[in-house]
Amino acid sequence: MMGHYIALSLLAVLGLGMIFIFYLTVKGRTIERRFVFLYIVFTVSLPLFVKMKPPIQVSPEVQQVVETITSLSPGAKVLISCDFDPPSAPELQPMLVAFTKYALKHDLKLIFMGLWPLGPSQANRGLRLALADTIIAAKNLTYGVDYVNLGFQSGNEFVIQAMGGSFKSMFPQDDRRIPYDSIPLLNGVVNYRQIDLVMNFSAGKPGTIEWIQNAVDRYQVKLSAGNTAVQAPQVYPYLRAGQVRGLMGGMSGAAEFELALNEKGKASSFILSQMFSHLAVMLFVIVGNVAWLMTRKKK
Amino acid sequence: MVSTANQGDRRCATNLIRLLLVTFAVLLTFLHNRALADNSAVDTSSVVSASITPLAPPTSLVVSDHVYDNAERLDLVWVPSIDDKLIASKLIEYRVYRITDSGDGQRIAVLPAGANSFSDENVESGHQYSYYITSVGADSEFPSISSEPIEPEREWLNYHLISLLLICMIIGVAITYFIETARRGKKLFIRRIAGLEAIDDAVGRATEMGRPILFIPGIQDMDDVGTVAGVTILGRVCRVVAEFDTKISVPTSRSLVMTAARETIKTAYQTAGRPDKYSDDMSNYITDEQFGYVAAVNGIMVREKPATCFYMGTFYAESLLLAETGNSVGAIQIAGTSNPMQIPFFVVACDFTLIGEELFAASAYLSSEPKQLGSLKGQDLGKAIALTAITIGVIAATGSSAWHIGWMQDILNALESIFLTR
Amino acid sequence: MSTEFGVWVAALMTIGLFSFLYKDNPFFKVCEAVFIGSSTGYWAVVYFFDNLQKKLWEGIFPPDGAVGDAWLWGGAILGILMLCRLSNKIGWIARWPVSFIVGATAGLYMINYFVSSAMMQVASTMQSLVVTNGGGIDWQATIGSVVVAVAVVSGLIYFFFSKEHTGAFGGVAKVGIWFLMITFGASFGYTVMSRMSLLIGRMDYLFGDWLGMIR
Repeated sequence: MMGHYIALSLLAVLGLGMIFIFYLTVKGRTIERRFVFLYIVFTVSLPLFVKMKPPIQVSPEVQQVVETITSLSPGAKVLISCDFDPPSAPELQPMLVAFTKYALKHDLKLIFMGLWPLGPSQANRGLRLALADTIIAAKNLTYGVDYVNLGFQSGNEFVIQAMGGSFKSMFPQDDRRIPYDSIPLLNGVVNYRQIDLVMNFSAGKPGTIEWIQNAVDRYQVKLSAGNTAVQAPQVYPYLRAGQVRGLMGGMSGAAEFELALNEKGKASSFILSQMFSHLAVMLFVIVGNVAWLMTRKKK
Repeated sequence: MVSTANQGDRRCATNLIRLLLVTFAVLLTFLHNRALADNSAVDTSSVVSASITPLAPPTSLVVSDHVYDNAERLDLVWVPSIDDKLIASKLIEYRVYRITDSGDGQRIAVLPAGANSFSDENVESGHQYSYYITSVGADSEFPSISSEPIEPEREWLNYHLISLLLICMIIGVAITYFIETARRGKKLFIRRIAGLEAIDDAVGRATEMGRPILFIPGIQDMDDVGTVAGVTILGRVCRVVAEFDTKISVPTSRSLVMTAARETIKTAYQTAGRPDKYSDDMSNYITDEQFGYVAAVNGIMVREKPATCFYMGTFYAESLLLAETGNSVGAIQIAGTSNPMQIPFFVVACDFTLIGEELFAASAYLSSEPKQLGSLKGQDLGKAIALTAITIGVIAATGSSAWHIGWMQDILNALESIFLTR
Repeated sequence: MSTEFGVWVAALMTIGLFSFLYKDNPFFKVCEAVFIGSSTGYWAVVYFFDNLQKKLWEGIFPPDGAVGDAWLWGGAILGILMLCRLSNKIGWIARWPVSFIVGATAGLYMINYFVSSAMMQVASTMQSLVVTNGGGIDWQATIGSVVVAVAVVSGLIYFFFSKEHTGAFGGVAKVGIWFLMITFGASFGYTVMSRMSLLIGRMDYLFGDWLGMIR
């Protein structure tokens, strides 16, 4: 609790610091870039100690993902493609964990895979966190029956296309080198037609757009996606055209998703930092433009 | 006085009457009982038929191959049972059965009353399938006639995509036409692209300052069009570099790109008449890992302090890292990428930016290669088609939605049938 | 505070790489070299075991004794031809597998990319400019619809290279570049969010997983 108040006080100091920066800028003094870096570090770090949650509103595109997921009945098979690596984990891992927890609690059958080499290990991390949940742990879920990790396969969009014919052709063994035919969950799963939903967590290429081009429009796959905030604007045209059922963009999308599914996770605890950092960037942009205008005026 | 014979006759008649009456009574009783039995038999039969509700089976079952698929679907269509249309229908559902090799019916689907079609997606080519449908009441099930065996087929062509084929052919023919036109020497007009004029100035600046030039051809492999465009621009830049005898460094993220870059630089130096100045060390492979590559290039920038940085190709998250570091060392930066998410970073941090397709236009403009020029002109035709379709479509959609103009709805439907290929 | 060696290594390397923000220093150079070396090594191992062993070798000679996929021999031969690049004399042979990759990718993209990213987008843009809701006009949706239509048309005109941007055409192209810049600004904001998220993740790792100050 002490840390909470200290952090709040320091944030107030940072706010005053911003006013001081603005004053210096108006006076024509330049600000050392290292000072700006330090300022951002404090703005990002201090809210992590503050026990305060800003109000989050679930956006329509995230709501669409939630509705798609909640419409699945127990026993439905979901293919989850983890197309990201640790650098993008702060944004995508919370989405993955929230979805995995929801899915395992509601008896959905999960088939993990990855088109990025480190994607399956991110899936394993998410599974470990989800399986540690008390409700899920009490279910005594079994690998190969309730969930399976097919592992990584290189080939990008060629893999997505080939899976339309046969999953086994791309994944003859799973991540633990168990033959495809020996896995009970995959019994009868030949291709996308036996899959009720594809969830894609993507940080770049190959990712959501490749899934849309090669699976949705070709094999009429039902797809929902979570993307990094960099990637999300590129997917909006496909969302508008109905090619993807809902989109979670970045950490704010992850926080909204956690709220909608009632699965509190990392994204919800990070959102205050996100808010303050955005505020800081906005103020720096304003300060910078004021400085530029004043420089022009002088010239 | 009555005679005894008369008394005997009278007695005989009485007995006869009595006999007739008794017989009649017996007959009546018999008939009554028979009627009762018949009624109870009717009741029985009505009791019996209450446990077996008679229902008419579905008729005219037709099984056909689903067209334009991978031999993975058969479509069943039938005429629903006439009992289905009754107000107090006793029909509850339909059941679909696939006849197995042993002749038994294997139930594959249960459909609600009113259904008249079903698609079986668990079929394979090389097998024959036949079906029957049953109409199901509370306690009875009546099958239709079984269908003839049918095998799913795989078609050669998907005629649903005919509009796609036509549009691709139009654009393809246009590209081919323009390429041939360029080959024959006719000058194809491409509008002026801002930022291209800066290339020569940027190279000259590096020469004057005695500092090297850094060229980053993106982080994707040679199968990416952005990388191909970047390497083409590298060739143009290297011709100027060779003439000015400036040092150039081309670190790459893919080994194949390194090889292509080396070939391009070597060719440029040969064209400029300076083959002796070429060295393989001008282009090096760093690592495939995105941020490892960025860390290395940032290190190169800080240590070698290039005067000019070119970022031409496909970039992702590393774009701002590169541009910011280049800015910090005081380099003039010219960037071009087709990734719309990275363009904002280049716009704010670089001196000149080629936006999106301008990268490919620049590549065509600088190389003057007929294939690139012709492709660009052909793409312009594609854009014109899209522009025309969108304009007409929007007008048609507005007219049909806001003012309910029938023929505009027809135009919209026609356009959607061309462009919606799903 | 964490007692795991891996967490300490990751935390110190994070700080080392961040030290570049102050200035280039030997600590950063060491962390940079370790990162580049380990990432290259990791990729090499992943590609060897996932592609060469799992996909190629076990595809041709399955461990369970099943019949192998003979088509993979074609891929193997093309891969070997790539190695010819190491020789100056027969390096030209390596162009064949490159051509195969470029051709296959172009063929795949031609249909899938064109359908999903061009045809479907053109179809989805054909929306009514006036959007009604019940009896009246839904003004928010109508303005949105008009903006989308104008932005798409003007953006397409901006990227038209066969005509100089003069007159009315140039005017529409200018509107297009304005829309593009607004779009870039919006995606820039989204990307700032992404970068901040990564920084938040790192700070959480340092203060939470390493120093144990956040619970």
